[in-house]
Amino acid sequence: MWGRTLQFLPTKSLREGLLPWVIGVMLFLCTLSLTGAVAIGKGLASWSAGLTSNFSVQIVVKDPAERSVQTEAAIRLLNATPGIASTAVLAEADVLALLSPWLGDMPINSDLPIPTLIEVKLDGRSTVNTTALAERLRATAPGAQLDDHQAWMTQILELAGVVQLLLAGVVLMIVLSTVAIVIFGCRAGLATHHESIEIMHLMGAEDKTISKAFDVRYLGHGLKGGLVGVLLAGGVLWLLADLAQEMGQGLISASMPDASNLLWLALLPLSASLLTMLTARITVRKALLEMM
Amino acid sequence: MISFENVGMRYGMGNEILTDVSFSLERSSFHFLVGPSGAGKTTLLKLLYLAHRPSRGLVNFFGKDLATLERSALPRIRRRIGVVFQDFRLFEHLTAFENVALPLRLQGAKKAQVADHVEELLSWVGLDDRMHARPATLSGGEKQRVAIARAIINKPDLLVADEPTGNVDAEMSKRLMHLFVALNREGTTTVVATHDENLVRSVGAPILRLEKGHIELQPGGKPIDPGV
Repeated sequence: MWGRTLQFLPTKSLREGLLPWVIGVMLFLCTLSLTGAVAIGKGLASWSAGLTSNFSVQIVVKDPAERSVQTEAAIRLLNATPGIASTAVLAEADVLALLSPWLGDMPINSDLPIPTLIEVKLDGRSTVNTTALAERLRATAPGAQLDDHQAWMTQILELAGVVQLLLAGVVLMIVLSTVAIVIFGCRAGLATHHESIEIMHLMGAEDKTISKAFDVRYLGHGLKGGLVGVLLAGGVLWLLADLAQEMGQGLISASMPDASNLLWLALLPLSASLLTMLTARITVRKALLEMM
Repeated sequence: MISFENVGMRYGMGNEILTDVSFSLERSSFHFLVGPSGAGKTTLLKLLYLAHRPSRGLVNFFGKDLATLERSALPRIRRRIGVVFQDFRLFEHLTAFENVALPLRLQGAKKAQVADHVEELLSWVGLDDRMHARPATLSGGEKQRVAIARAIINKPDLLVADEPTGNVDAEMSKRLMHLFVALNREGTTTVVATHDENLVRSVGAPILRLEKGHIELQPGGKPIDPGV
C-alpha cells in the first residue's frame, strides 16, 4: 500500500510535534469513557441477573394464626406455579435481623407483629408473570405482598442507561474533537509545507502522490498517540481493578472489563490512526483541489 | 508546440499584469525573456510552467487547450516541463542527489536508473563530490546547479529558467548555457529569463521582450561565443 509513497515532507515538523500527544490524551479519555460505559453495562447485567432470579413475598397479617394460614396457602400456590424452583420461609430471627437497622434489637416474642417473609427462587427456564401472580396471591392470601424489585430496579436501570448515553456522548465529542484537531494540524502542516507541495505539483506530482505523504505521516501520528493513550488508560484501569479486588466489592469486580473487552480496547489505537489518516487525506485532498 | 494568444493576466481584481500577450514557441526553439523589473516576466513564466491559468486568452500546451484541460491532466503536462527557479526552491531536508532524483521518482523510474542518471548529471554540473550534501551546506552557485540538474534530469520538452546564471561565476555561467543549448539542440524548447545582456548576446537567440505587460518578439543576432 505504501510501497510507492514518495515522502517529500521533512521527517520532523515542529508544528506537528504535539499532535501525537494530543491524540494520546484524547484516546486516554476515550478509553476511560468507553470502559466506564462497558463497566456500567456489565455491572448492571450481573447485578440484575441476580435480582431477577428471585423475588420475595411478605405475608402482612396482624394475627399470628391467620398469618400462618395465609403463609401456607401462599406457599402452596407458589409451589404450584410453573417457573418457580423453590420457596423458603425465613425464620423469624432472620426477619428480625433484617429489620434491626430500623427497629433495633427486639426479642423474638415481642408483641410487634412481624410479617412472614417467603423467599422465592425461579428456575430460570420459564418466565413468571409476577403481576398476575401477585393478583392470584392476593386472592388466596389477602395479606400477601409480592416484591420483585421492579419498582426501584427500573429506576436504577434508567439512571444507568442515562449515564451510559452520557458516556457515549463524551466518546462522540472526543472523536469529533480529535477530528477537528487533526484537521487544524493538517491545515497547519499544509501551510508549513505549502512551498514543497507547490514544487511537487509543478514537477508533475498527482494529488494522490502528495496526499499519500500526508497519509503516512498522520497514520504514524495516530498510531503513536493511540498507543500512548491506550497504554496510559490501561495502566489506570489495571490500578482500578487491583483496588476493586482489594476492596472485595463484588459489583465493582464484576464491572471490570474482561479479556474480550480489553481486546476491543486494543483496537482503539488502530482505529485512531485510521481516523487520523482518513481525516488528513480528506483535508489534504480538499486543499489540493483549491490549487491549480 | 506552445502558443499564447491574446493572453491577459490579473491577480484578483488588480490591474492586468499581462495584456494581449501573443507568441508561440516551436519545438526546439530557444528564446530569451527580457524586460525591466515589474514588466510581468515572473507572471509569464508562471503561466509557462503552469502555476497559474490566464485570466483570459488562449493558451495551448503540446496541442492541448489549457482552458478545456481537466485538472487531472495537468500532472502529465507538467512532467514535460522543467523549471529552474530564481530562488532554487530546493527541498532543504533532502540531499542534492535526492532533490535531483525527485522528477524521475515521480515518473516511477527504477532505483538503479535514477541513481545512474542523477550521478551522471550531477558530475556533469561539477557536483560529484557534493551529491550527498544538503542545500544548507551548498553555496549559491552549487544550489543553482542542483536546481538546473533537477529541471533537466528527465529531458523535458520545455525548459523554463528564471535567471539560471544569476548566482554563478562567468565560467560556470558559460558552462550552464552550453548545457541549455545542448539540451535545446536535442529538442528541448527553452525559455530563459535573464537580465544579463552578455548572456543574450552570447547565444544570439530570439528575444521575447516584455514592457508593461506587452510582449514583443525580437529576432536573435549572431552568437558572439563560438562555443555556444
